Amino acid sequence: MLAALGACEFDKVGIQPTESQLATHGVLSATAPTQVVLVERTRNGTVQSIAPPFDLEVPLVTDEGIAETGAIVSLTTPSGATLFAREDYPANGDGSGRGVYRFFLPGSTLDRNGTYKLSILTSKGERVNAETAVPGGTAVFAPDPPRTFDRAADAASIEWPAAQGARSYYVRIETPFGPRAFFTDSTRVRLPGELRNVDLKTLRHVFVPGFPQTVTVSAVDSNFYDWYRTHNDPLSGEGLANRVTLGFGFFGSLVRLRFLELDVVAPQTEPIAGKYRVVGPPDELIAGPHLGLELYVESPSARSDQPDALSGRVHRKVTFSSPGCEFCGVLGTAQNGRVTLNFLRDWSASDTAEVLTGEIRGDTIVGQYRTAGGFAHFVRER
Amino acid sequence: MGRAPRAAVAGALTVLRGGGYHGAPILTATVTLRASLKHGARIALLGLAPALLQAQDAPVGFVSGQVTARADTAAALVAVAGATVALSGTALSGPPAVTTRADGRFLVEAVRAGPVTVTVSAVGYRTVQRSIRVRPGDTTRVSVVLRSEAQVLDAMRADARAVDAESFQARPSVGTISLGAAAMAGVPNVGEPDVVRVVQLLPGVIARNDFNTGLNVRGGESDQNLVLLDGYPVHNPFHLGGLFSTFMDATVGGIELVTAAFPSRYGGRLSSVLEVQSADDPRPGVHTTADVSALATSARLSGAFGGGRGTWSVAGRRTYADALQSIFTDNVFPYHFRDLHARATYELPGGIHLAATAYEGKDVLDANLAEFASDSTPTKAAGGKWAYDWGNLVLGVTLSKNLGAVRTPLFAWALGDSTTLEQRVSASGFSTRLDLGEGALTQRSELHDVRFAGSIRTRGAAHDRSLGYELATYRIEYASGSAQTGTTGFDLEQRPTSGVLWADDVWRLSPRWLVEGGMRAEALSGRDWAALSPRLSVKYFLSPDVALTVGAGRVTQWMQSLAGDGAYRYYDIWIASDSFIPVASAWHYVAGAERRLDAGSVRLEGFVKKYDRVLEANWSEDPGRRGDEFFQATGLSYGLDLLARWQSRSGASGWLAYTYGLSTRTRDGVRWAPGQDRRHDVDVVGTWPVGRYKLGAHFGFASGTPYTPITGQIVRRVYDPSLDHWGTGDPRLLLEPLGGARNSARFPVSHRLDLDVSRTWTYRGATVAPYLSIVNVYYARNVFVYLYDYSTDRPTRRAISQFPVLPSLGVRVGL
Repeated sequence: MLAALGACEFDKVGIQPTESQLATHGVLSATAPTQVVLVERTRNGTVQSIAPPFDLEVPLVTDEGIAETGAIVSLTTPSGATLFAREDYPANGDGSGRGVYRFFLPGSTLDRNGTYKLSILTSKGERVNAETAVPGGTAVFAPDPPRTFDRAADAASIEWPAAQGARSYYVRIETPFGPRAFFTDSTRVRLPGELRNVDLKTLRHVFVPGFPQTVTVSAVDSNFYDWYRTHNDPLSGEGLANRVTLGFGFFGSLVRLRFLELDVVAPQTEPIAGKYRVVGPPDELIAGPHLGLELYVESPSARSDQPDALSGRVHRKVTFSSPGCEFCGVLGTAQNGRVTLNFLRDWSASDTAEVLTGEIRGDTIVGQYRTAGGFAHFVRER
Repeated sequence: MGRAPRAAVAGALTVLRGGGYHGAPILTATVTLRASLKHGARIALLGLAPALLQAQDAPVGFVSGQVTARADTAAALVAVAGATVALSGTALSGPPAVTTRADGRFLVEAVRAGPVTVTVSAVGYRTVQRSIRVRPGDTTRVSVVLRSEAQVLDAMRADARAVDAESFQARPSVGTISLGAAAMAGVPNVGEPDVVRVVQLLPGVIARNDFNTGLNVRGGESDQNLVLLDGYPVHNPFHLGGLFSTFMDATVGGIELVTAAFPSRYGGRLSSVLEVQSADDPRPGVHTTADVSALATSARLSGAFGGGRGTWSVAGRRTYADALQSIFTDNVFPYHFRDLHARATYELPGGIHLAATAYEGKDVLDANLAEFASDSTPTKAAGGKWAYDWGNLVLGVTLSKNLGAVRTPLFAWALGDSTTLEQRVSASGFSTRLDLGEGALTQRSELHDVRFAGSIRTRGAAHDRSLGYELATYRIEYASGSAQTGTTGFDLEQRPTSGVLWADDVWRLSPRWLVEGGMRAEALSGRDWAALSPRLSVKYFLSPDVALTVGAGRVTQWMQSLAGDGAYRYYDIWIASDSFIPVASAWHYVAGAERRLDAGSVRLEGFVKKYDRVLEANWSEDPGRRGDEFFQATGLSYGLDLLARWQSRSGASGWLAYTYGLSTRTRDGVRWAPGQDRRHDVDVVGTWPVGRYKLGAHFGFASGTPYTPITGQIVRRVYDPSLDHWGTGDPRLLLEPLGGARNSARFPVSHRLDLDVSRTWTYRGATVAPYLSIVNVYYARNVFVYLYDYSTDRPTRRAISQFPVLPSLGVRVGL
């Protein structure tokens, strides 16, 4: 809005670095085999932040974090016992895992509604304290059997028993573009197939045809609830409900109550939508990485000058030299007989493994791989 | 201005207002007004027991009307405040004369029936005379349209008054500033002429930045101002996050800003009262004015009907940046706002004056993101819809009747030489609606009130006494949730009722002393709260043109905004005090001096505002719980402001406003300067007629306001319950700025020069006046906010500017 009014940026000046502070994120999960606390520094202008490809096992350093290594992180249980965390970094032996502190405390042994006290002492003598009480409720360790979910017709109605000590319930749906998460005080929720993801600026659909999507409902304590429901005002830097003394961050707890896996589908009425199998000359079949394809028109274009959005899944050849998912996500576009398909490394839209560009010839998509080269023919099955 | 002669003619006294530098009557006469009650006695006009009042016989009537003129650069008629309306031929002992109010209206009471000559004069205009016949027991209306006449200025100077001249003599008027529409015409504008932007240029009023028309008055927060349109509250009088106000220029007849120690009829806010009066058009026929600018088009139809007994006007405005954009680009910012304003007045039989005002305005920001042009992504097809709108609705009716001299039936106590009854009924609402993804997330807030208010005002030789009431019921809703998921984030509903009784007495103690005292008794259901708020102001005249003033008063506020007081605010979300939210309160103390000059006035006032309790929106409030919506703080604001106004014989006019202020707030032992704490603020405004051109200029200089520097950033990590792992590779990095000590730094000084020029062509009664306004002519780089980046080993701070050079071109047409 300001840009529309002509506000402009000027007077960019260098400023002095400020004093860095300790930040921690910790969750006690009733379903986790170990409990992990992340310890890092706030950004203060002394470190160049870098973002290598995200690695789930190295969640701090691969996500622009400034890890605090060498800290003594301890947990006092409701019974008074003190546990000490081990930092992944030296244990991993490959330099990764800095700032990731792990308590070998299975979630199933957590004392419900008892208070756990976290203490962090850095090598410079800084100390951070926080505490949490783990809510009650029966923890669900494995997902329900996958079920097909027709985005056009279905709605997932989910209920769960009230959990003692829970401040709220955290509902989270994984999507290729980032999760949709919200809190509710109710013990039921309805997720219609056409639900939009208001956590994304583009308000995309939550459910994307062709993708398996996980839904979890967790009972959370007040620290978890307060930390994720609040934000700092970008101008004043106020607003976050910080529950960590002498530092920033939170130490909360979570009990997973519902765990669903939905295989999202949609009617395949458009000409390009359908199941495809790979055909072609023998050398092309041998060299090609894919076996088949399932495509949906995720959203038809609202403008004549823009393509339709496609989604779906691809059946990969999994080999020793090409490990990974057997079925992976596909996102793409189609317009005027031209098609572009982004084959994802897994199911996240942010990680594309290969792109195929081509055209639609009747029931066949003929295209060329951008990275590996080579052609592919996908024929729609009747 | 000297005192007018005073004469008593056997019996009861009726006062013709408007004379005497301290408000002493300039004419007294024996009158009885049986006829004036012949219809009114049967009409439940006020609900204030009019049957208690009885009239006496006398062959007299009233003369009322309105004085208007065509502004130099505008085709619309504007009210002329301060015009002198003199009556002759009434066979009374003195030359009766009154001064028109800010809306150009006047009323001469108890005029002996028969032929009368009405003479209307005002500086800058040709004197007009009309012969009328005053009918006994009836009101004779006279509406006069003045014509500009530069060559007779000298002759008229002696009788000319500034807009607030009458107020200077008649009331203590502590902290009060009045401006007529003519005084505001020609002030450089930002895209659209805007009355609230003019108010920002008055002393004691701080504008946080260019992007906000919110008012911070004498150290107060921007939700502490009561904004009234013809006496009816407008709960959020802003468009586009405060960039524009809801008042269309052509519909505004005048304004009055009260910045301290309000008269007891006002309440409910801690800092100021801004009363906006609608312009009425007394000309017969249908008249049109239109204002076409690059931003919006507004049009107004107006005129008089019923042989001059009534006036009407309908006006509308819509911005069309969205429509214009769509011609040139696919990337349209899908926003517009609109206003509709209607106003009617009518003199009913029995001398009852009816006035009705209606206003509806809305900001609309609706978009289908799938229809946006693509940028870096190949398609926007997957985008969803959002709907966002907010707006006001105001409906109000006022009935008033002048009863003349009235005595109580039991003991025949004289209530005064004249008595006016007034009854108001209004409904005012403000609502907001946000709908993301067609029900995926909705948030709405609504405030609706229905208000009954009335007063009885008696005027006598020494006292002007008023007694009034106000009863208001509110419906407040604030809810968030998702219709699609069937979840509720929060759902607050309040239905409080407030009741107010107030009394006010303007006492002309002696030729030198003028005292206004009052008491306001207030109660609010829902909190079971009641309070008495005394008000007192005193004026001492050192000479007819020089006066000293002091004032004090307690003010309370039971309607609080959750919007906070940041640098930028979209709109207010109001909730009422209840068992969780206390009523805010403050004391005002004022002392000052004012001098009237031939060509203007100078006023210096010092002020202290002590907040016993001021509420501050809690950014971290838990919407699922009640009671943490606000923090309670105490506060202190003090300073002084200077206003020098001038109106030269050449027609040039303007003012210089300077404010020195200092404000602090304290909570839990921590003291800070609030965001509106500006130490120095200077505004110089001038307009000059040069032939058919009118030039306008504004220069502002202000010291910096406090802000909280960002001292670092924290990355918020997200726990994935499905994997029982930290981080999921979500492409959005949740980065939060960390604030340092609250408001511990200050922006640099800001300054700006704005210019305006317009030229008027007249052809067969129609006027065309193109205008050009340029804001920030010399491109001063004034800082709006700072943005920080700590993600590198060379941290930086960037400034985002306030207005750059902003030219706006438009044309005003009048038919």
